[in-house]
Amino acid sequence: MLISPPVIGITVAALVLIWLIAVFNGLVALRNRVQNAWAQMDVQLKRRHDLIPNLVETVRGYMQHERSVFESVTEARAQAIVAGNNIPARTAAESALSGVLGKLFAVAENYPQLRAVENFQILQEELTSTENRIAYARQCYNDEVMKYNTTQSTFPRNLFARLFGFSPASMFAGTDADRAEVYVKL
Amino acid sequence: MRLNAHPTGELTEPNASQRFAPRDRESFFAAQARNRRATWRISALCVLAAALMGIPLALIITPLLYGVALIIADAVSLFSPLPPEFWRQASEVSRFGRVALDWLLQQKAADPQALAIGVAVMLLPGILFSLALWAGVNLMFRRSGTGGAVLALRAREPKPSELKELQLIDVVQEMAIAAGLPAPQVLLIDAPGANAGIIGTSPEDARLIVSRRLIEDLSRDELEGAVAHLIGSIGNGDLRISMRMTAVFEACGLLVAVMNAPFGSQSRRILWRMVRYSLIRREADPQEAAVVADLLTRSAALEVDDIDRFFDATGKKSRMRSIRNFIFFPIFFTNTAVKLLLWFFSWAALGPLMGLLWHTRQYLADASAVQLTRDPDGLARALQKLNEEPGEIPGGDWASHLFLVRPGRSGNTFATNPQQRQMLAQAWAASTTPASASMPAASSDFAAISRQLPEIMHAAFAGDERAAARLRSLYQSVSAADPEFAAQFPNPDDLIAARKGDLEAMSRLRVARPHPSALGQAGKQKDQAPSSPETPSLVGFHASLKRRLKRLALLGAHIDPVARDRKAGIVILALSLLLGPFVLLAILMLLLLIAVMTMASLTFVTIWLAVIHKLFALAGSPTA
Repeated sequence: MLISPPVIGITVAALVLIWLIAVFNGLVALRNRVQNAWAQMDVQLKRRHDLIPNLVETVRGYMQHERSVFESVTEARAQAIVAGNNIPARTAAESALSGVLGKLFAVAENYPQLRAVENFQILQEELTSTENRIAYARQCYNDEVMKYNTTQSTFPRNLFARLFGFSPASMFAGTDADRAEVYVKL
Repeated sequence: MRLNAHPTGELTEPNASQRFAPRDRESFFAAQARNRRATWRISALCVLAAALMGIPLALIITPLLYGVALIIADAVSLFSPLPPEFWRQASEVSRFGRVALDWLLQQKAADPQALAIGVAVMLLPGILFSLALWAGVNLMFRRSGTGGAVLALRAREPKPSELKELQLIDVVQEMAIAAGLPAPQVLLIDAPGANAGIIGTSPEDARLIVSRRLIEDLSRDELEGAVAHLIGSIGNGDLRISMRMTAVFEACGLLVAVMNAPFGSQSRRILWRMVRYSLIRREADPQEAAVVADLLTRSAALEVDDIDRFFDATGKKSRMRSIRNFIFFPIFFTNTAVKLLLWFFSWAALGPLMGLLWHTRQYLADASAVQLTRDPDGLARALQKLNEEPGEIPGGDWASHLFLVRPGRSGNTFATNPQQRQMLAQAWAASTTPASASMPAASSDFAAISRQLPEIMHAAFAGDERAAARLRSLYQSVSAADPEFAAQFPNPDDLIAARKGDLEAMSRLRVARPHPSALGQAGKQKDQAPSSPETPSLVGFHASLKRRLKRLALLGAHIDPVARDRKAGIVILALSLLLGPFVLLAILMLLLLIAVMTMASLTFVTIWLAVIHKLFALAGSPTA
């Protein structure tokens, strides 16, 4: 009585529809997570730019003889800011900035008074943390991309993902130089 | 034959290949998937256990619900008679119920369909009522969160101007970014122990509680591991699971309170507080929520309560009292049956299953932490360090399962701030002067002090005069330097006297400890025993450190495999073989007792109902 062909048909169709909605919503959520992870990286790069003037100000008094080091830091920062959204230039500038910052902290090892200054320690911690955050944001981005790509390329979701307009995102591989290629259309 | 003296010798020095590449190494994604599956399996078992608990519980509750409904209906029909249709329906329901009862109590054969309806009539109201209680409690506490008690513990925001605290803020931010979550609010408490935990109801309002000692004890990568575990736990949705689990215990307490409410003021007070809390919405005071939750969990415990006091005839003996006791005697069976049932299931069935469920969540959070930091070593070292001296979070017992390691209760976690530690170290060094060479050398290292102090105390208790003298001089120099700090310790003379059975010294000690300022606002409740879902279960909520480390080693942590003590294993096996049958027997007896109690309660309550109904009918007939 209840179990007749039309009833079965409608039930199956409703279930399939619900499943499709779930697939679509799940993919949208994953894509948003991927985009959010990408945005985090930019936020952290910006944060690093904001910290540098403070650092240079603190260091200046103690490292008179190493003027060239912190001038190169300031210069790298300026270049990164000038580069703006010009992706290849920006990536080059950011990795140059990472390099000179590393050199600055290496040189600072030779100045015990400087290392004892609390403000310097705090700045060093902030910059270390920022570098970490950039790395973690990349890692998170890659994890999210992996989840997103796996979800949309496994059967049977792969039959519908393309149809809904989802395409695989690319991983962030290795160095800053690769960043230009992955500045994606998600 | 010294060969067997070190049966584990080969394990204590693992060779290099074992150290760096466990044979069956697992990726953290695989570990996460495995633990998620385990969670599903165990939660299915939990539901099964809850259903098993629900059947006898429903058998007890349903007649009471019918009773309340009947009394109301009778009372209403005294004033305005209810339509005869209502009474016909009611007697129809009771007929089905009687079919089921006869089948159950007297093995009378019954028509399957009538039996099915009868069973539904007997069980459904009770089951629905219990589920409603659980959902209600769950909803009520989700509104305010569970953060109240910890916030009241002088929890404060970390100061970005201090290097160590800044580091904590940064690490939390980093881990939140790695997990793709909003960064939780961080709160520091200046508790003596090193521990950290999460509170809240969802990833959005989660808060991280870290004791100041933790950030002093751990290095940056260890701190990262610890924070990553907690943030991973938030991201895995553990807060919601924890809410649901604690709601089970709270709902049990609420049930007992509701049943006892007509018979005593204690239950009424609990109910009144809860109703007031859930109705007055002007401030969702989290502290009040914590207190209410605590009261509810406690009321399900097997303690002397209203019912016992109600029937307690010591002192006043009167005819009225004995008649009253005789009339209300059935409720005694009901109450005892419910309490035994709840206790049994929370101790031996549902509780342990929830413990196991929580273990899988902890392993999952460990695997998530490795995913976030890609450094299993940091977390492994942090766990090892914390476990050496697990920190108690004062007042945090109710949420102890949300902490990184089981909060300890070791007596040597006292000196909170660096000045106090330094002062203690100086006093310790000074106290060596009257000591002889047999005493351990004094050291200004705090860790050494906290190791040596208990030894000295033991020696003093055992009657070693020199040790006692040393304790005394330590106490004197501390109280000369900082009387308030010294008040946190018991006077050594009292301690030694109390050990020898001096009652006066004991009462002095009881007054002296715990120091209210050391306990913060939680000191208000210090006379009550700490309660948590941890206490009444066979299996604790914290997975053993050994297992967690083993799993971390599988994920790539470089820790020496824990040497397995084969002898201890054999002893445990033999013991469990010997004691197993007795434990089984005890459990069977307990189940039998519960069954008898349930039946007695069922019979008595049914008789009771019939009598009440007859009385109402007698009262009503002249007017009708």
